[in-house]
Amino acid sequence: MSINGPVTRRQALRAGALGVTGLYVAACGSSSTTQSGGASSAASSGSSAKASTAPVTLNWETWNDHYLTQQIAAVKKATGIAARPSLESDDSDGYLKVKQTGGQYDIVSTDALWAPKFFKDGLTEPFDIASIPVSSQLYSIAKEVPFWKAGGGYLVYPNGWSSVNIYYNPKFVSPAPTSWEVLTEPKYAGKVVAENQPTDLMAMAGLATGAKEPYGMTTAEISKAQQFLQAAKPAFLKLVSQNSDSVRALADGSAWMALENLGTDFRVKAAGGPTVKEATPKEGVVGWIDGEQMVKASSHKDRFTQFLNGMEQANWVAQNFLVNGRPLFNEKAYKILVNQGYKERADLLWYNQPDKALQMTLKGPSGNVQAYIDAFNSVFGA
Amino acid sequence: MALTPEATVGRAPAVTPRRAPLSRRLAPYAGFSPAVVLFGGFFLAPLALIVLYSFWEVINYNVVHNWTLDNYHYFFSTPTYVKTLWDTIWVAAVTTALTLLAAFPLAYWLARYVRPAIRRPLLVLIIVPFWTSYLLRVTSWTTILGQKGVLNRFLELIGVIHQPLSFLLYDRPAVIVVLIYLYFPFAALTLYASLERFDWMQMRAAMDLGAPPRAAITRVLLPQIRPGITVSVIFVFIPVLGEYLTPQLVGGTRGVMIGNLIVNFFQGAEYTRGAAISLLIAAMIVVLLVVFRKQLDVADTYGR
Amino acid sequence: MAGEAADHVAPHKHLARGALVAWAVFIYFFLFAPIILLVLFSFNANQYGTLPITGWTLHWYHAAFNDFQIQDALKTTLSVALEVTIIATVVGTAAAFPLVRANLPFRSGIRAALTLPIMLPGLLIGVSLLTFFTGVLHLTLSNQTVVIGQAVYVTPFVILVVASRLEGFDRSLERAAADLGANSYQRLRHVVLPLIGPAIFAGALFAFTLSLDEFVITLFLIGGGNTLPIYIYTQVKFGITPEVNALATLLIAASLTITAAAFVVPGALRRVRRGRRISARPATGA
Repeated sequence: MSINGPVTRRQALRAGALGVTGLYVAACGSSSTTQSGGASSAASSGSSAKASTAPVTLNWETWNDHYLTQQIAAVKKATGIAARPSLESDDSDGYLKVKQTGGQYDIVSTDALWAPKFFKDGLTEPFDIASIPVSSQLYSIAKEVPFWKAGGGYLVYPNGWSSVNIYYNPKFVSPAPTSWEVLTEPKYAGKVVAENQPTDLMAMAGLATGAKEPYGMTTAEISKAQQFLQAAKPAFLKLVSQNSDSVRALADGSAWMALENLGTDFRVKAAGGPTVKEATPKEGVVGWIDGEQMVKASSHKDRFTQFLNGMEQANWVAQNFLVNGRPLFNEKAYKILVNQGYKERADLLWYNQPDKALQMTLKGPSGNVQAYIDAFNSVFGA
Repeated sequence: MALTPEATVGRAPAVTPRRAPLSRRLAPYAGFSPAVVLFGGFFLAPLALIVLYSFWEVINYNVVHNWTLDNYHYFFSTPTYVKTLWDTIWVAAVTTALTLLAAFPLAYWLARYVRPAIRRPLLVLIIVPFWTSYLLRVTSWTTILGQKGVLNRFLELIGVIHQPLSFLLYDRPAVIVVLIYLYFPFAALTLYASLERFDWMQMRAAMDLGAPPRAAITRVLLPQIRPGITVSVIFVFIPVLGEYLTPQLVGGTRGVMIGNLIVNFFQGAEYTRGAAISLLIAAMIVVLLVVFRKQLDVADTYGR
Repeated sequence: MAGEAADHVAPHKHLARGALVAWAVFIYFFLFAPIILLVLFSFNANQYGTLPITGWTLHWYHAAFNDFQIQDALKTTLSVALEVTIIATVVGTAAAFPLVRANLPFRSGIRAALTLPIMLPGLLIGVSLLTFFTGVLHLTLSNQTVVIGQAVYVTPFVILVVASRLEGFDRSLERAAADLGANSYQRLRHVVLPLIGPAIFAGALFAFTLSLDEFVITLFLIGGGNTLPIYIYTQVKFGITPEVNALATLLIAASLTITAAAFVVPGALRRVRRGRRISARPATGA
């Protein structure tokens, strides 16, 4: 066998392999920018928000109750903007995802005091809310939230708000809970679900143990809160990622209590489940006001306002309320709901009292993020 | 001069051969170069990074190059974490044992009693579920085990229970059942491969010599298929150690495994803590692979 | 020879065999029931996707086909799978040759090292690449990062498949070709590659299927995009609607079809080629 044989064959293989690798690396380098579904993102260079209907896909880091599937389809048809929602479990999850992915996301939803953090850390940009026509449908108080004003503009397009209460099935939970301590009762072991939001669960534990500022606890307060969570741990069946999961757990009976947003009772009923009631613990509850932020590194910022203008129309917001139950900041939608005969339900859920929203202990990043997460992790193991 | 062995042995070659140039000596290994780029750059380098990270710390979401053993110390000093680690090892051991117990009778039956003609389709049937998405196989169990799931309804229907069983889901038993389901094909096929090569006449010989069937199995069969059993154990135990999706979907708060903890740390930007635990698990796996490397080499992975 | 001559322990043996058969039946039921249920519920008119089955409908398939989020996820999944397949097949085939044929100093060690990406939890590949990309290379996550991550996991499978075929390859064929004057490129193109072609093809299809279904690594590296498994995972958090079941069924059907093709197509191609060669031969009248 000739000695040249293996050499030239190997060389052929090597050349081919290296060539492909080279091509690949070149392709890889050039395409590590944002990805968009449409081809003509370059066409959206018009200064006016309404100018282009060129197809584009916006990546939207959000929660499941910020949109309805048919709503996204309709907006796509009208504006050419297709939204690709990606679900976050809590604010710090969303924050980290945006931080890690640069301009991959175009819009990120967040709560209350997280918005200033996003802005301070250079992740989002303020915008002129008055320039979005649909913003005239909002309650004015939603456009005046003091910590949402920054950089000469507004940080968040308001969506909705809620407190996080204890929803319970009176058939199994009696007497009605009056305090967070109910979570430590052995008879409810494995019967509670809550959303997997470490910072906020720590804050609730802080409320339960008398912390002055649930989102700014001292080391001693954190330790007490952690002990409370440790005592309450047996109660939790699972920590869910989205509120729809809690609804299902209550509906099919695997959970008797849920720490959830307003409107859960309606949703459980709609899912074919039993009647559940709402209880507000005497130590207080945390709450949130949320909305949509514009990601600074996004390459589709010019379509942001156009997208919101399509999504946040009152008729959609009204539908969203009927599905998800918690109050929203769109005043015109309230009127639609009243016209459709849902005044009682809307009032029951404080829809037309948005001022209540700002009176809650609002969600935000904790003073010492690591300490909160550590305390939470060391209780739940994961 | 005749080329007799005595004449040729010990004769120095006429010309001292020059060493072949480096490119020619390396040429046979050229096919490795793309693999070296891929695995060196995107597998080994990141793992090395993890090793480094495990000794640094995270301050305000950023990794800071302070050398410290704090991550490991933190892990071992938190009872919940250590418990999760032990729970994971326990789950892996139980899953492996049950999987092998379930797979062995099937493999035995296939190797011994089934005609070769229908053996092949039956073997293919074992592996067919494996060709579907792992995620789908796990999620399919949530509809079976839930409160209003298929299993509960069936049990209620036939009157065995009157209230749905709630422990079926979101607890450790659910995790173990689903894991057995996922890893069964590995164990079954590996055991089968081993049993197929066994000479069944030895069993008859043993029984002809007066051994009862059970003794024939334990003293003739099992020792000879021990390599196969070892490989099955490895193929189930090691992946289960690193399981993440199954406990996340069906484990609830009580079925947490170390994989969930690692993910939680990384998704919470606690990269260094996550790295420390990752390193622990990786080290355990590598140790097992090294200890059992001989058995793994014997396995028919490369067709020999 | 079956060797089951009539002997004195017959009834005991029948019981044992019966028990084994019963166990086998149970196992096959256990293996397929979840998948069959998954498929079954995709036709369930009941919108909660659970029992009772209120009716049979194709409505959910219709919904799945028209859901543009699914179409979008499908596009991403396919493009990623294609890239991963190309990389894994090229890198894997190239690596199989020296693995089998070169005189390696630590052959078993290298083999073990090459299968390490399979043995380590996918989770570790995912998180290590995540930190590598974001912390060191400062790349933003994208479809390309997913391709790299999946390629690391998938390539060892291709290596296994191709190397296995190469081991059993009859080198004398190459020597015969060399004796007939073929140089190494010709030997590669006309002797080796055609004969191991089916294995490469099988490896490629295997790679494609693995990429289609890959979830854990993708979850960490995808950034803002969606592949079908990621989309399904997201929807599972909503609760398994029949639409998700329909999508799942389609995905299962696709995986099985592609894998079946890996077995069937090479044989069929071979028969076609043989047929063509035979018909191309001039008639010799025999």
